[in-house]
Amino acid sequence: MTSNNLPYHDTKPQGAADFYFAINATFRFIHACLGRDGWVRYLHELASGYFAPVNEVWRRDGLQAVAPYWRDFYAAEPGAEVDVHDDNQTVTVEVRVCPAIAHLKKHQREIVPYYCEHCYHLNNARAEAAGLCMRLAGGNGRCRQTFSHAADPQDMNTIAEATS
Amino acid sequence: MIGCYDFCGHYDWTFAWLRKQGGADLERAYWQDAIAGDSQRHAADLIKPLGFAGMAKYWEHTLTEEAAGYTITKGENVFRTDMHRCPSRGFLLDNGISFSADYCDHCIGWIGPVMKEAGFVIDHEHNHCGQCWWEMRKAEDPTAPSEPGDLARQADVRLRENWKASPGKLDRFSRSTSVTEKELPPSRRLSRGARSDSR
Repeated sequence: MTSNNLPYHDTKPQGAADFYFAINATFRFIHACLGRDGWVRYLHELASGYFAPVNEVWRRDGLQAVAPYWRDFYAAEPGAEVDVHDDNQTVTVEVRVCPAIAHLKKHQREIVPYYCEHCYHLNNARAEAAGLCMRLAGGNGRCRQTFSHAADPQDMNTIAEATS
Repeated sequence: MIGCYDFCGHYDWTFAWLRKQGGADLERAYWQDAIAGDSQRHAADLIKPLGFAGMAKYWEHTLTEEAAGYTITKGENVFRTDMHRCPSRGFLLDNGISFSADYCDHCIGWIGPVMKEAGFVIDHEHNHCGQCWWEMRKAEDPTAPSEPGDLARQADVRLRENWKASPGKLDRFSRSTSVTEKELPPSRRLSRGARSDSR
């Protein structure tokens, strides 16, 4: 991990928002070619593979490493409006403006309806790799993501469908 | 959330994952269908009706947004870009990321189909170190690619010392619209026994 809690550094302070087009298109392609199970497997393997350096820090340092990571993560995402709260038992990420959904809507892109589920599948898998769990409520531009040591099973009905 | 700050990192990881699921065919289908036909459809929407002017409009926007070190040379019958510091490949090199077989192939993997649909062909070389050049011409124009310095003058990436020093690393495409049409340098062609490592 680098000094600002992200594993990788770019030469510019924030990413290029048009890449959200590619993330949305990637979901659509994998879902169409490999089905829903294939798409979920993609997210789980991305979580355990690509994100392994972050998972390792979370596993080593616990919840205290989770909040600073998300603060730095969203600071590098253009258009994000997010508050991160840490009370030692849970870390709550309040997404007031999801940068991806906002950019896709602004440019009238057809958003895959299951877009917001990716945050649950990906982030819970990353949390589980560190002995934690993550639950999500909301979606379609605003949501709450809660990281803790234990929680009731995720109710998928609490994750909103994304609309264009 | 999958973010855009480190997009090139998980993009590279995704290429390797797709190839593991369905081989190079699935990886190529991804570049053509998901990137050319969906994500970057605004490129085709500019290039198909506007031709060279559409290319300028698309790449001036996107390369500026990505903070690339590049030059664009506009001729009457050619559109040329020289990439001196590719922000995408540079991100991988700077962070020691290497998941896929040949990350640089993704560019012609999606730009090729866009150009084919719009009636253009591509001459292109990349050195895997964040430098490349592209010349687009109408498919019916038989003109050969420019010699180093002739078109882009001092901005020609082929005049760089590190370009001259890397002939064995160069992948070349001639009047191409497909990643399958790669011409490997002789040394790599012999060792791999195939025209393209993307097949």
